Amino acid sequence: MSGGVDSSVAAAMLVREGYDVIGATMKLHSDGAEVPDKPCCSLDSVNDARRIAERIGIPHYVLNLEKSFTRDVLDDFVSEYARGRTPIPCVRCNTFTKFRDLIQKADTVDAEFVATGHYARVMNGELNRGTDDAKDQTYFLWGIERSAISRMLLPVGDMTKPQVRVLAHELGLNLVAEKPESQEICFVPEGNYAKILTEHLGADAPSLSPGPIVTSDGTVVGEHLGFAHYTIGQRRGVPGGYDEPMFVTEIRANDRTVVIGPREELMGRGVIARGLNWLVDPAPRVGDHVGVRVRHRAPIVPAEIVRIERDEIELALDAPVRAIAPGQSLVLYDGDRVLGGGFIEASRRARAPLPMATI
Amino acid sequence: MPAPIYLDHAATTPVRPEVLEAMQPFFGPRFGNPSSTHRWGREARTALDAARERVAKCLGANADEVCFTSGGTEGDNIAILGGWRVLKPKGRNAIVTSPIEHKAVLQSVHQATKEGAEERFIAVDSTGTVQLQSADALIRDDTAICTVMWINNEIGTIQPIEELAALAKSRGAIFHTDAVQAFGKVEIDARKTPFDFLAISGHKIGAPKGIGAMYIRRNTPLEPLFFGGSQDRGRRPGTENVAYAVALATAAELTLAEHERESARLTALRERLETAILAKLPDAIVHGRGAKRAPHVLSISVPGTDSESMLMALDLQGIACSGGSACQSGSVGASHVLDSLDLSAEIANAAIRMSLGSLTTDACIDRVAEVFPALALKARGLASVG
Repeated sequence: MSGGVDSSVAAAMLVREGYDVIGATMKLHSDGAEVPDKPCCSLDSVNDARRIAERIGIPHYVLNLEKSFTRDVLDDFVSEYARGRTPIPCVRCNTFTKFRDLIQKADTVDAEFVATGHYARVMNGELNRGTDDAKDQTYFLWGIERSAISRMLLPVGDMTKPQVRVLAHELGLNLVAEKPESQEICFVPEGNYAKILTEHLGADAPSLSPGPIVTSDGTVVGEHLGFAHYTIGQRRGVPGGYDEPMFVTEIRANDRTVVIGPREELMGRGVIARGLNWLVDPAPRVGDHVGVRVRHRAPIVPAEIVRIERDEIELALDAPVRAIAPGQSLVLYDGDRVLGGGFIEASRRARAPLPMATI
Repeated sequence: MPAPIYLDHAATTPVRPEVLEAMQPFFGPRFGNPSSTHRWGREARTALDAARERVAKCLGANADEVCFTSGGTEGDNIAILGGWRVLKPKGRNAIVTSPIEHKAVLQSVHQATKEGAEERFIAVDSTGTVQLQSADALIRDDTAICTVMWINNEIGTIQPIEELAALAKSRGAIFHTDAVQAFGKVEIDARKTPFDFLAISGHKIGAPKGIGAMYIRRNTPLEPLFFGGSQDRGRRPGTENVAYAVALATAAELTLAEHERESARLTALRERLETAILAKLPDAIVHGRGAKRAPHVLSISVPGTDSESMLMALDLQGIACSGGSACQSGSVGASHVLDSLDLSAEIANAAIRMSLGSLTTDACIDRVAEVFPALALKARGLASVG
């Protein structure tokens, strides 16, 4: 229970359905002091969660998972930026914190399920996209253990956000019914991730030090103040004066270079990912046609699996996709079914060669 | 589920019915302001003075040596900051304390340090008792104040206040003790023990939250933290909370009257609980074992468990205990007290404090002796989150 509307409604729905519900709020980070006005994990959010729990008549506990969250999520977030990648901490939080550590906590009190306010559905023992296309959160859930799916309850997954807000009012949860959504990463106040990087890496870290901005032919066109401030597809902080808008197309940590180019250089026809995790059995195979998503809220596009080697997968995209960023998730779908995913390692400008036919 | 069991008396206690009854009139007919000169005022003043005298008697003090506060935290703040600020310009800038103090003391000391004080920490042995040898080396003629708690709130160890107070005196330093857990558990007598300041809290002894008292030995220098009227000799301005002062006096008297019998009763119950748990969990570690301990606290770590999960499981069984110090969000943080006892992180993070008191019966102890080991054995079978 984050103190937000989704998890509050999820808890209240389960109480209404007759489950014996225990409320839990995870304390994941503290920033040294307890910051009162952050959208999530702050004192105010914990208090809201506590009040909702009181309101719906369930016990509520604050679980301190700061140590494991720092190890599993925060440290990785920092090191990914240091490597010139664009990390996606919510995936690791779901994988390790919510659907591993929290399940372990649930075990200690004999709780059969872990319920959250995620927009996703469990159907026939498989993870499926949430009904609300705009809210679907499966992009962040592909990394969980397959065995965790049978422990998940996702009560709001077949509702839309507006429906959840209406239900919140009906359930008497006015306190949180109209709470604004938190868009930012919970441990990054005001979206200022550079501050976190500075704290962890030091102000003189290579990723926060000046380096060249070049075009794809190698021409130096400017200087940046640290490649960690850039993400693939970004326009802000990119030199102007070109006939067409320029975007960050590549970040090279080894020589601290930020490469920029026009929109066409941002488009990818192939994608390679590692750290695979499959949520279906049997797992997808080379030659399968699937839907893929390479960024939160990006459209799901048709693709073909052209290579699976140990921990690495390569897909050929039927149509070009914009801004494929290393570090983000690649999630594979079959309709609404979430097949699994991995972390993007690289993109290919050209469509990958088709696999050799094997019999 | 069987009736819930409250084993957290060190956190707070219920207001005693006698106390509630005694304070009642001051919310109604006897509502006057003790500073007013008319009959309502006089009536309130009389009650306040009587309450002050009654509290003084319970501490072996004179009435003018007792100052009402909002509780233990305020008393600690006034004593440490108020004492240090007066003595600092006189060449006494150091504050000597222990690492196992309550946050009210530690944060007050840190505040003084921010304002320029030098803080020194007395070494604590593995049972959680401060070492006099270390205190002897740290309390010097540059020391403004030495502050050590009488009974530790997390593990119940009794500190050598007699010796520490004498030591501080001999170096010309003020001696303050946070006696929040000690009142009613050990004998507190300002005529026998040379402490200069002492803080107690009402809600630990059957009075409401929001009232406490401070003992201020005559002629001890003290600068107030609040400014305003001349209430409480200007040491604590603001209209006095007459009802709560009466409540504190009543609770203090009742507590002292029962002190011996209750201490014997709680000690026996605590010993029984401890023995029963150790019989089922022979590798459990009782903190403060071997040291002089207060009768009402049992702090225990079962290897392979973590206190957060244990507290949750116990609460769901209707048994209320506590872990380390609870932070503002309500999560269980690592305890600075256990951290300073030379324990492994695993053991420190497993500590459960059970504190006995007026609500504790034989039946409570029997049930906890049954349920606690069962939950611990179960938790141990599950991997813990680290």
